[in-house]
Amino acid sequence: MLQFSFASFIHAVRPEHLSKIVRHRSKRMILDSIGVGLVGSTTHVFDIALKYCLLYSSVAVSNVYGKPGVKLSPTLAAFTNGVATHSMDFDDTWHPATHPSGAVLPALLAASQMLPPNSKPNGLDFLLAFNVGLEVQGRLMHFSTEAHNIPKRFHPPSVVGTMGSAAATAKLLSLSMTQCTHALGIAASLAGAPMANAATQAKPLHIGNATRLGFEAALLAARGMEANPFILDDISGCSGFSAFYSIYQPRPLSTSSECHEFLLEKQDIAFKRFPAHLGMHWVVDAALSVRNLFINYAGSFSPSLIRTIVLKIPVSKYINRPFPNSEHEARHSFQFNACTALLDGEVGLSSFTEGSIHRQELRELLHKVVVEHPEDNVANFDKMYGEVAVLLKSGDVLTGKCDTFYGHWRKPLSRESLLKKFRSNASHVLPEEKVETIITMVDNLENLSDSSHLACSL
Amino acid sequence: MWAKTITGNFASVIHGLNTNHLTDVVIQRSKRMILDTLGVGLLGTSTEVCQKVKQYSKIYSSDISSTIWGHLDFRLPPLYAAFVNGVAVHSMDFDDTWHPATHPSGAVLPAVMALSEAFSQKKKISGLDLLLAFNVGIEVQGRLLRFSSEARNIPKRFHPPTVVGTMGSAAACAKLLALNKMKCKNTLAIAASYAGAPLANAATQTKPLHIGNAAKHGLEAACLASQGLQGNNQILDMESGIGAFYTDYNPQILPTLQSYPWLLDQQDVAIKRFPAHLGTHWVADAASSVRRKLVKNSDNLLLLDKIEKVIVKVPEVKYVNRPSPNSEHEARHSFQFVACSALLDGSMSIQSFASENIHRPALQELLCKTQLEHPSDNKPSFESLYCEVTVVLQDGNTISDRCDTFYGHWRKPLTKEDLEEKFQSNASEVLPPEAIEGIIETVYNLEKVEDCSVLNMFLSGQSARVLPEKLHFEHSNS
Repeated sequence: MLQFSFASFIHAVRPEHLSKIVRHRSKRMILDSIGVGLVGSTTHVFDIALKYCLLYSSVAVSNVYGKPGVKLSPTLAAFTNGVATHSMDFDDTWHPATHPSGAVLPALLAASQMLPPNSKPNGLDFLLAFNVGLEVQGRLMHFSTEAHNIPKRFHPPSVVGTMGSAAATAKLLSLSMTQCTHALGIAASLAGAPMANAATQAKPLHIGNATRLGFEAALLAARGMEANPFILDDISGCSGFSAFYSIYQPRPLSTSSECHEFLLEKQDIAFKRFPAHLGMHWVVDAALSVRNLFINYAGSFSPSLIRTIVLKIPVSKYINRPFPNSEHEARHSFQFNACTALLDGEVGLSSFTEGSIHRQELRELLHKVVVEHPEDNVANFDKMYGEVAVLLKSGDVLTGKCDTFYGHWRKPLSRESLLKKFRSNASHVLPEEKVETIITMVDNLENLSDSSHLACSL
Repeated sequence: MWAKTITGNFASVIHGLNTNHLTDVVIQRSKRMILDTLGVGLLGTSTEVCQKVKQYSKIYSSDISSTIWGHLDFRLPPLYAAFVNGVAVHSMDFDDTWHPATHPSGAVLPAVMALSEAFSQKKKISGLDLLLAFNVGIEVQGRLLRFSSEARNIPKRFHPPTVVGTMGSAAACAKLLALNKMKCKNTLAIAASYAGAPLANAATQTKPLHIGNAAKHGLEAACLASQGLQGNNQILDMESGIGAFYTDYNPQILPTLQSYPWLLDQQDVAIKRFPAHLGTHWVADAASSVRRKLVKNSDNLLLLDKIEKVIVKVPEVKYVNRPSPNSEHEARHSFQFVACSALLDGSMSIQSFASENIHRPALQELLCKTQLEHPSDNKPSFESLYCEVTVVLQDGNTISDRCDTFYGHWRKPLTKEDLEEKFQSNASEVLPPEAIEGIIETVYNLEKVEDCSVLNMFLSGQSARVLPEKLHFEHSNS
């Protein structure tokens, strides 16, 4: 019985089971996620979410990213911080594809502040709960071969993220095995948002809701709510979790209590270098190398010399946008990101402002772009590549190809790069001392005696 | 510009429908639905699942507050009031069912009622406003259900209230909030990202949350849209939008507003006579009638040991096929249980699902002799299914009866008296008689009520004597 094995794992896993690699990788994820959430607190979508949640702020014990004076009730703090984390599509991505940290961290931060003073989880408990949340997401994605490719129907964070959040909070709150089982069952009824809201302002809600609703599921289970204990099994004629997939082959987790190999051990995460869909990172790196060739060739980058720009990308409708109109669309546009990289030599936060999106030279360049979908370019974050070919009016062709961008799990960001990203993000809303405090706290997470200090420092 | 997409068209209609569009039939039918839903919800407040969600929701008390049906002692923010009341409505599977299949009222009424209280200082919501918003919410659900042929049958994958119910609640709240067309569109877009729960939690304690969440999330979507949040404005058009919940999806634009043809006009709902899955209502009627025949032949005594086999012919619906249910939730989703229960007692009631009745030996014994058959002509659709119950006696005789349309089905609707009796019986578990009378009268005259907050006051248990000035109907010179 699957749910039993999942609940058993969630309930019985201990900090000792975390290997060094897993600790190291997950702390990097926590740091990046916080930074991304902090910069995300400056977005419009965040404003809306916060204003909405402030209506319900009575038992306000949980901090909100970037707003030191403001507290919300725990699940709404989780919601708001989740929205912040995904507001710019700057958060981490895993394989199979999902954004794992944003679905888990906000709930844990909020929950840590909810628990009474004499039972605060320490840093190691926190790290463990975080990893439980990741692990459950990863294991669930392995139940379907569909999950290996870039999604088409349901947005993965809204499917597995909700389950991961339920598992993580169940762990942090020390729910019994039965309660863990039911938390997963209840969470399944809160999972699943369609892809069509990707590339819109509503997309960040997917992570916000995943982390919040998974948390709610755990809270309801803690109060005795019961659900179907076979929700993860494949029951014909009456779908459970399988409802979200057309192919579904579930497997139990290993129940060995001595050791558990976390998926994070074998499969690292990708961190983004700029706030856009992961697929963009390949074309940007390819475009940057073409731009360098161009500068060597012609002394400077001159768009007027260009006849056509050919992008060789995998097939994925929601990131193929020739003329994006909003920041959300721009973050989901191969064409936009390639052209920005060619024009500016880099892609960053400011690339997605209204002014940048609509500038004349960029629009002109966009008109020269054509896309091709080579058969060998699979819509899969482990296998895809990005190729940019600039055909000049002179007849010359400059090409660049990127198989593995810097930040991908095959070429992980160095510690310096990761800290640079964090500092750049966090300093948008926090003073330097606080920024450094967070870095130190996360670095030493295993030694923190009260993990709610992390939430308080936001 | 707006009607070029289905989504835009829906937003346009939600925005453009007004009280003049409501027909007499629609008004009458929807008031019946409102009354039934309130009663069912009031009764449901006493269930265990409702106790749990009430406890949970109390985390979120704040200044803005709405009524929790049956409670004078505490209030909750509109979002959680909608949630809790929604859970109450579906807690016993006693709420209305439509064709194509969903539970339409429970997803909408709690949300609009909770929302109506959030305005109170700023403006009055009249009964007619409430009635209109309610019907917009029902209509949107019905229209969405017609976009997929899958929806015509009893579901297998996603529980329909969680798909269309969330959208209906969102539309109804957008209407009540008087959002502009753009915001109506965004309401729908945002709501889609909350829609969809798998069927497997049916027949468990979590199922009532499906309706609670549909109401709550639809309301939230409307509130977020009202604050300016935007989503995909082709959410109803795209396969990766609402289409994600169906394997075949063919959206259509709505009719023009000119004498708008409401679905409720053409297709009524079924109101349940006892708290269990609709499919079991056919079984109960057939089994009760078989029992009448049986006892007639033996001096009004049901001779259990003379029964060899009980054969129940129903369509194939896996989640209602439970040979030996263990909990009330399972019992409410068991053809076998209802057949045996009705054979034993002659009729079904709320009490049939009490723990001691579920586990009584006579019933367990009869269950062991019961089997289901699925004739190929018995389609899993609430429009066309039938039930045949056959009792095979030890002496070889068989007694059979068949039910094509149970009393309460849209083809044989409950009379006004019986609808009221159901409401009285339900509401009297938690409200005093004056409040009960107040609700009945207010709902019956809903289109004339100037300020629908009176309804909420009765629902919290306050009686008419306390608020004479509130019972002010327009055109009171009738």
